[in-house]
Amino acid sequence: MATEPSAASAGAEPGFSAATAEDILYHAFQARFLVQAVRKLARSNDVPDDCASFEIDPRTIVMAQAMRARQDGTGDACAPGRLSAGPALPFGATPLEFVRCLGGRRTNLASARGGPSWTDLRCGLFGWHGPPGVITQVVAGVALAFKQRSEKRAALVFEDWRAAETGAWHEAMSFAAAAAVPLVAVLAGDRSGRNGELGKHAPGLARIAANYGARTVTVGSESYQQIYREMREARAEVVSGRGPLLAGLIAASDDPWDRHEEHAADLVQASGIGPDRLRALERAAWAGVEHAAIRLQQEPNPRPTDALAPVTEDAGPLPPWTRHDAPNPGVRHSEPQGTSPEGWDWDAAASC
Amino acid sequence: MPPPPASAPAEPSEQRPDHVTRTDSRRPATFLEAIAEALWEEMKQDERVFLMGEDIGIYGGAFKLTRGFLDRFGPLRVVDTPISEGGFTGAAAGAAHMGLRPVVEMQFMDFVSPAYDVLTNYIATSRYRGAGPLPMVIRGPVGGGNRGGPFHSQNVEMAFFHTPGLKIVYPSNPRDAKGLLKSAIRDQDPVIFEEHKGLYRAPALRELLPQDDYVIPLGKARTALEGEDLTIVTYGLMVHHSLAAARALAKDGVRAEVLDLRTLLPLDEDAIAKSVKKTGKLLIVHEDTRTGGIAGEIAMRMNERAFEWLDGPILRVTAIDSPVPFSGPLEDYFLPSTDDVVAASRYLVQY
Repeated sequence: MATEPSAASAGAEPGFSAATAEDILYHAFQARFLVQAVRKLARSNDVPDDCASFEIDPRTIVMAQAMRARQDGTGDACAPGRLSAGPALPFGATPLEFVRCLGGRRTNLASARGGPSWTDLRCGLFGWHGPPGVITQVVAGVALAFKQRSEKRAALVFEDWRAAETGAWHEAMSFAAAAAVPLVAVLAGDRSGRNGELGKHAPGLARIAANYGARTVTVGSESYQQIYREMREARAEVVSGRGPLLAGLIAASDDPWDRHEEHAADLVQASGIGPDRLRALERAAWAGVEHAAIRLQQEPNPRPTDALAPVTEDAGPLPPWTRHDAPNPGVRHSEPQGTSPEGWDWDAAASC
Repeated sequence: MPPPPASAPAEPSEQRPDHVTRTDSRRPATFLEAIAEALWEEMKQDERVFLMGEDIGIYGGAFKLTRGFLDRFGPLRVVDTPISEGGFTGAAAGAAHMGLRPVVEMQFMDFVSPAYDVLTNYIATSRYRGAGPLPMVIRGPVGGGNRGGPFHSQNVEMAFFHTPGLKIVYPSNPRDAKGLLKSAIRDQDPVIFEEHKGLYRAPALRELLPQDDYVIPLGKARTALEGEDLTIVTYGLMVHHSLAAARALAKDGVRAEVLDLRTLLPLDEDAIAKSVKKTGKLLIVHEDTRTGGIAGEIAMRMNERAFEWLDGPILRVTAIDSPVPFSGPLEDYFLPSTDDVVAASRYLVQY
């Protein structure tokens, strides 16, 4: 999918092309189907129970779309936030890899040792989630690397609003501001019914940003074109060296999709996308998600010995003997075959 | 270990601060100067290496270790950070993801606590989670005996010792410090590099360092003194107390073997076991507090590896289980001394 704006369509904002509109609509379709699929997989216990309330805010797709995503390690960076596929989709994540992360399959990166925390340097993706505030620290460092190399790249990080209560997040912003790195830090609305508090905190966003000399952008219920434009401007600003920018993703209601049909219709009209093309996008998105849901149920879980992966480069596979020490130290009742844990005799060890 | 890029041509010595020119001018270097030389040389020959820390740039560092570095390498490679240990340690991880090699300085390693979250939850687990290696070094001064009080005198190794995915290095002399730091910077995994501040400018430790680009591999202990009557396993400043104790014991005909661990994680069990199997007696000496100190881990591993070779209990000489006192007499009582090592050794030898 093209991520660069080309010739603007009639009625579209400058820089907002039909291709960009298609990308947003396609990823929005993907996101909608992914939400349905993940909730269904939660009911069948193919993904954890807490995925039963899995949700994607389509505005995060637009925000991420405004960055320059590449799949060759030369684009912007994005940390999508906890269990949030929205920003990851424009950055090259696929529905299949996402559900593998959630489902902890052996086919997942690192045999699911890392849980729903996927880093893909080619796409510029950093973790799906981590300790609140910590991922902002890491992405600030990614942005520092961009600055050190004089690359015109930016880093985008999504955190739950509550990350701004942590010292870790504030230390990240303190560093990002002092080093003037090209970072857009988004604080996203809490989906557990605390929208009233978000309204109260919105002025707080400006006060927080002022502490770090950062400008703010507030994303609410405006059109997708407007969100896209604001994020493009935000990106340009941070890449220019002015330092980090703080964005607040404020929810107008409990349902993140309640304005989507209206905004999508605006996009379609402004970009001149025809109904046949729109249906083709929808079918393609559905096919990818359906494929992912079916494949997940066919893929194996990790083997127990996948836990014995090396923890450092020169460590070699971990020995499993820590739970199977023979009573007489120095004598083993069964020895592993070579250095591979595959040769370990579990039955003999268990009889010690 | 990947070799560094080809060295840049040597710049005229007058452009370098004096404390990084000891080896080139064939003068003995202190522990601090050896560390500074390692940093300078690695930064010169690998542009991916850069420094982050509080006051390391304009001020030259709390111990003046990095004075002159900012002028030579510029503000993008000698990054003065705010007082946000967690923030800039996490940022170092992000930079390491992007192929850079950050060396993070903790002004005092006591201040590493705010970075505990990112170090243990994110950095240490990165490779195992499939997020890729994070080649970075977190270095800083540790240790007491300088009347620094509870917040400037700790040994922090055990806070991270049981975190899989980290490496911990703790040299005892200038030669090892330089070679180990170079190895740490070139290593593909995160390394915590502890430097006992009592060694920084100790005049007795000045030594001529090799002029070639030498490295000392991580994970390998060094036999500081050969012996046959008992094994003293130790590291850092306690190596020197142990050697002093060994000299005192030698007057009584007791030959102690002193093993300098150099790297605490991964621990060189093989070297310890080999020595214990030779002498049959094991004494572990560390400046860290007693409970939860590395002596317990070493003792258990030797119980597993060399029990049949032991001719006596495994003993340890450590600091007492308290915060580091500020007052001089109290701190002296808190810290293990040469006399403590001698007394424990005599008990073991006579057992």
